[in-house]
Amino acid sequence: MHTGFMTGRQGADTITGTGGQRQTPPKIMVSKLILVGLAGLLAACSTTPPDERSDSRDVFENTNRSIYAFNMAADTYVLEPVADGYRSTIPEGGQQAVNYHLRWASMPSTAINSTLQGKFENAGLATLNFLVNGLTLGFADLTQDHDTIEQEDFGQTLASYNAPEGPYIMVPILGPRTGRALTGNIVDFAMNPLRVFGSGDEVQTVRQAQAPLGAVSFRAKNFDAFNDVKYNALDPYARTRSAYYQIRLGLLEDRVGGTSPTSEDAFEFLFED
Amino acid sequence: MPLYRTLINRTLIPCLVSAMALLAAAMLPASASDRQSAAITAVGSLISDVEAMLETPDADRDTRHGAITALLDTHFAMDSIAAFSTGPYWRAATPDERETYKSVFRDVLVGTILNNFDQLNGLTYTPGKATPKGDKFVIVSGKFTDVTGARPPVAVNWRVLTRTGKPVQLFDIEIENLSLLVTQRQENVAVIRKNKGQFGALITAMQTRLSTQ
Repeated sequence: MHTGFMTGRQGADTITGTGGQRQTPPKIMVSKLILVGLAGLLAACSTTPPDERSDSRDVFENTNRSIYAFNMAADTYVLEPVADGYRSTIPEGGQQAVNYHLRWASMPSTAINSTLQGKFENAGLATLNFLVNGLTLGFADLTQDHDTIEQEDFGQTLASYNAPEGPYIMVPILGPRTGRALTGNIVDFAMNPLRVFGSGDEVQTVRQAQAPLGAVSFRAKNFDAFNDVKYNALDPYARTRSAYYQIRLGLLEDRVGGTSPTSEDAFEFLFED
Repeated sequence: MPLYRTLINRTLIPCLVSAMALLAAAMLPASASDRQSAAITAVGSLISDVEAMLETPDADRDTRHGAITALLDTHFAMDSIAAFSTGPYWRAATPDERETYKSVFRDVLVGTILNNFDQLNGLTYTPGKATPKGDKFVIVSGKFTDVTGARPPVAVNWRVLTRTGKPVQLFDIEIENLSLLVTQRQENVAVIRKNKGQFGALITAMQTRLSTQ
């Protein structure tokens, strides 16, 4: 009797050869489950009337604010103390190794998305990085090219094909996303090399640890900035939303470290008089 | 020729012509390269003043508070920044509300910088290029690097206001694509909108914030 949930290996075992009854591969099942979950999440979101929104892009603001409060509570009781412990107890080299691994795990996604966006040099570098650093599962950077590869995700690819941005959604635990970025995350999730090529208990353990480790690593890297928003902002939710949109816009326009991503129109109203 | 006519011809007219020429020069848009140079100088001047402050690590909190206030007033277009930071609600605010907001906004800013000032220790600044943005702004790029290597380099864009005939002053700082002023503006607008458009609610929120700094 199926319980409805399968681990990757269990799922792989149920696929029969030609002639047998073919069952759904686990990767697709997981994605479907996520999609169903997200659909449920969206259905639970009631739109906020325009005159009650603090930002016209935030059509689900009331629901989003509730989820944000939940996320902040989770942060206070779990993520913040763990991240604090992580950054104070794990040596610098260990933290760097984790950063390298997480970045390595995103290389197949970067390679594919760079190709889809016509950034072939970036795609080549990402492929090379993935192959070379794969010798250490990405925990060591043997290529020393961490400044030359721009990470690209499927949300950016969708944007390059002019897919609409979609609503602003505060996802439980994951944090802010636009609809387009969230769709991209789901596709990128399926491109994780350890999901596609990984086998063996050790590899599966590493894969399962990636998401929580990524969350802790991100929180630790941005510990002070995150806490500044959380504890000092007039409206932490609004500040988070603003930062998310700006950072995302910078990534979409490949302006990391480049010139200002802020629309010049935003600055003109001051001088109209 | 009567004396008054001589005076007019030889003194007053040249003076008037010179004054008009100066006025015209001030009104004409400065060249892009002049604006870029002025913007780079403005950023360099700020960095020098900050470095001078960092050289007195033993300064007490009041002394540092005064120095940061002076720094803001000298190098930043504080009135324009305050107006921008409230978005469209600035125009709806009463003159009293505007003055109160400008004061409390400045105090909050000074307090925030004061509380985080020590984070600037150990950083070196490398200037980058200057890029004109329209006829009012120049973006000056740069990079802060931690001399110990403990923190990764941080890319910074300084948005400098370079209006003809007015002081060249800093308007915004963008760190890794994140505009501090745009973020503040969107947060402030959110506070006002969540309080049914009342500008006073923002002032109250800022005063509360100030009391906890």
